[in-house]
Amino acid sequence: MTDLTSRIEDLPGDAVHAGLIAVGAALLFLASPLFVQAPSGSLVFFEVGVLFVLYAMVLVGLNLQFGHAGLVNFGPVAFFAVGGYTAAVLTAEDPFQGVGLGLPWPVGLAAGVLAAMALGVLLGVSTLRLRDDFLAIVTLAVAEIVHGSIITFRDITGGTNGLQNVPQPVAGTTDAGGNAELVSTVLVFGAFALLFYGLFRRLSASPYGRVLRAIRADEQVTETLGKRVFRYKLVVFVYGAAVAGLAGALLVFYNGAASDTFFTIDMTVIVWVGMLIGGAGSDRGVLGGLAVIMSFQLLTRFFNDSIPFVTQDQFASIRLMLIGLLLMIIIKYRPEGIWGNADRLGVDS
Amino acid sequence: MEIPLAQEVIFGLVIGSYIALGAVGFTLVYGLVNMINFAHGEFITIGAFAGYLAVVVAGLPLPVGILVALVATAVVGWGIARITFEPMNETGAVPLLMMSIGLGFVLRNGMRVIAGPSSRRVRLDVATYRFDDLGFFVTSQQLLIIGLALAAVVVMHLFLSRTMLGIAMRATSDNEDLALVSGIDTRRIRNAVWLAASGLAGVAGVMLALSQGANPTTGFGQLLLIITAAILGGAGSPYGAVVGAYLLGIGITVSVEFLPSGLTELNATMAFVVLIVVLLIRPGGIVNTEVRTS
Amino acid sequence: MTLLDVDGLERSFGNLVAVDGTTFDVEAGEIVGLIGPNGAGKTTTFNCISGVIDSDAGTVTFDGEDVTTVPPHGLARRGLVRTFQQTRELPTMTVEENMLLPAPDHPGERAWHAVGQTGASREREQAARERAMELLETFDLETMVEEFAGNLSGGQRKLLELARALMLDPKMLLLDEPFAGVNPSLTNEIVDHIEALNDDGLTLLIIEHELETLTELVDRLVVLADGQVLATGTPAEIMDNEEVIDAYLGG
Ligand SMILES: Nc1ncnc2c1ncn2[C@@H]1O[C@H](COP(=O)(O)OP(=O)(O)O)[C@@H](O)[C@H]1O
Ligand SMILES: [Mg+2]
Repeated sequence: MTDLTSRIEDLPGDAVHAGLIAVGAALLFLASPLFVQAPSGSLVFFEVGVLFVLYAMVLVGLNLQFGHAGLVNFGPVAFFAVGGYTAAVLTAEDPFQGVGLGLPWPVGLAAGVLAAMALGVLLGVSTLRLRDDFLAIVTLAVAEIVHGSIITFRDITGGTNGLQNVPQPVAGTTDAGGNAELVSTVLVFGAFALLFYGLFRRLSASPYGRVLRAIRADEQVTETLGKRVFRYKLVVFVYGAAVAGLAGALLVFYNGAASDTFFTIDMTVIVWVGMLIGGAGSDRGVLGGLAVIMSFQLLTRFFNDSIPFVTQDQFASIRLMLIGLLLMIIIKYRPEGIWGNADRLGVDS
Repeated sequence: MEIPLAQEVIFGLVIGSYIALGAVGFTLVYGLVNMINFAHGEFITIGAFAGYLAVVVAGLPLPVGILVALVATAVVGWGIARITFEPMNETGAVPLLMMSIGLGFVLRNGMRVIAGPSSRRVRLDVATYRFDDLGFFVTSQQLLIIGLALAAVVVMHLFLSRTMLGIAMRATSDNEDLALVSGIDTRRIRNAVWLAASGLAGVAGVMLALSQGANPTTGFGQLLLIITAAILGGAGSPYGAVVGAYLLGIGITVSVEFLPSGLTELNATMAFVVLIVVLLIRPGGIVNTEVRTS
Repeated sequence: MTLLDVDGLERSFGNLVAVDGTTFDVEAGEIVGLIGPNGAGKTTTFNCISGVIDSDAGTVTFDGEDVTTVPPHGLARRGLVRTFQQTRELPTMTVEENMLLPAPDHPGERAWHAVGQTGASREREQAARERAMELLETFDLETMVEEFAGNLSGGQRKLLELARALMLDPKMLLLDEPFAGVNPSLTNEIVDHIEALNDDGLTLLIIEHELETLTELVDRLVVLADGQVLATGTPAEIMDNEEVIDAYLGG
């Protein structure tokens, strides 16, 4: 994982080209009879790797929203969930409970993205004029509403049982068994993550990104200098929603199921802490930060068994405590994160 | 069984009572320290455990236990704020808010490590008064909770309107710069705010320990309701927060009557919908405070 | 020709009437001073004209078009640009970025051009950069191009704000107390810039709270007190006006 980030950091200028090539190569690989079996014991790394590339996609959008434009979106998981559940409801075949329309997966994928974008428009139009700390509350509340609705409307979503029998398009391309499908998934999703990183990077590095950073610095001045501030904020909000929705849809196609446990506030916390550790506004740094926090989670998994006198529950709590502590330390002692620019973020350190 | 409306109103008053105490503290901090404190729920949890320790473990009588919880939570909350929030007071709303999220994680999970996830109930001898012809009952415990909240609101009102410090607090909330020029010691006010907000959270915590039990997420579970009440009342306005809390409490329980039966779990979700609707049509809340940019 | 026409403008904050039926106009090519004691409503008048806040009543006409409800970005594009009383450089951006931001009609500010890295975007950026360098040289800021605007001195920030406004090629500038907190030599420098710009055809409306500062610079003064226009006229006329003197001594 850290491997992937360092590779991203070393990329010459343009990640869009690299991303396009990677997507092409990954798709060719899927179509070919070739497959790669990961060495046994490394399974957990690939599982976390899939989550990493999906969270990375969400983070790329979130960083454009907060790191560049200063929009405090505390509900990325809401868009992630709407994308995932829309895709699952449309494509699942005869789920145990809830609705499954059995449509082909590309329809589900497109609909997932569109649904997340629609939520983004709705929320953006109604709240982007509020003070930034109020946007934080509203987005957080919306994430709670979405999660609560998934549980409540069980006739559609399957409630806590989730939705099963969702197609698994990537896994379906190989019947090599073992963990070959996991490797393919990481490759394909990773290629798409790279492509989106490149696209968003081009946005942030252009005059477009300059307007966003001006909005972060002083909305009113930006407006009096002739920029349609509200429209920029709305569009950026919707772009972020779209990639989050896409990532959510990919997640259910990877799992072959949707479950409310994929879409809890923990996901929001992980991407936010990753962004702050890496340095909001640093397009590469935030991915590095995500890698740091997810490695921390992965490594501590192994410790649990080796520490005596600590129950599973206590251990989980300690881990969350440490994440909270890390967040506090970063904000207080290194508000620009590891790779962020203090001058750009307007923080002292 | 059909629950009569009057009964739902009483349940709503109970819920409104502890939300009110939480929301007043939350809104004071918002108005005077200019931060949204996402760790406010944890202050309430501290109060719930303090109440449990005082009443059940130490065996103190309930009034003493409530006082102990109030003082202990006030001091602990104030101390935590001094260490975490006060040194970064100048950095603005968003970093403070994130700091409080981190703090909430640490406190919530710290308490879970120590106390475990299970709930501890503070049990009292409860008398039930029935009014069968009017179709409702009320327990001594419910009366205690509602009475405590009313007493706290009255004390708060006297404090804000009769004491120098309280009047200075209101002035500062209206205009901090003006307060600075007119020689009000804003440091002292912030200390007072943290003590008052945490103390009220402590009392709310005891109420929750009485009615639902104390566990590490006791306060956190109420946080979005508290925020909703505070915003409904007009962020920064303590009186608005009280009104908002009771409206919300009664609204939640009464709406159960009118919702289709399958959707009663939407209760809490409903509150968040209320929050968003308020922010959309009247973001300033009942007293219409300024929350739009520019 | 009348470039800016303000008619019956009103704005209150709660019970306080900050602007109370203010009426005046500015001819194309003029330099007009808007003066009045602190709290007279000058900044609020600017805020209403520039669309930064809504007015309660009255109309604003710019260049023959009713712009009362036009949002600030629309006014900026029509050539009516303002500065703020408290200097508002964008501190987290470099001097160059501050200058490039206002460049009008920049295709690179649309997502499609940004992602496609189009030639149109590159060309516009290049042109904007040249214009920015010209202006920065005029204002003696060319050595600060890479510096974060937050690190400039107070005077440099004032100059940057002025230069930045000029990136929009405005027809008219609204300056809110451009000389407040500025030392005498910089004041002279800013006066020279204003006169040079006016010679090139720019119309200016300048707020100042002291009576004397603008007398040399402006063609006409509009005196505001308690949100109302007390008097208008040449600086000489205003200096002799009893009412104005009273307003200043009384206020
Ligand atoms: N946003 C505001 N909220 C409340 N009162 C305001 C606001 N802006 C200005 N005022 C009040 O309006 C009056 C006029 O202010 P202003 O236009 O800034 O005066 P000037 O620029 O002439 O000194 C003052 O009494 C000021 O306190
Ligand atoms: Mg002024």
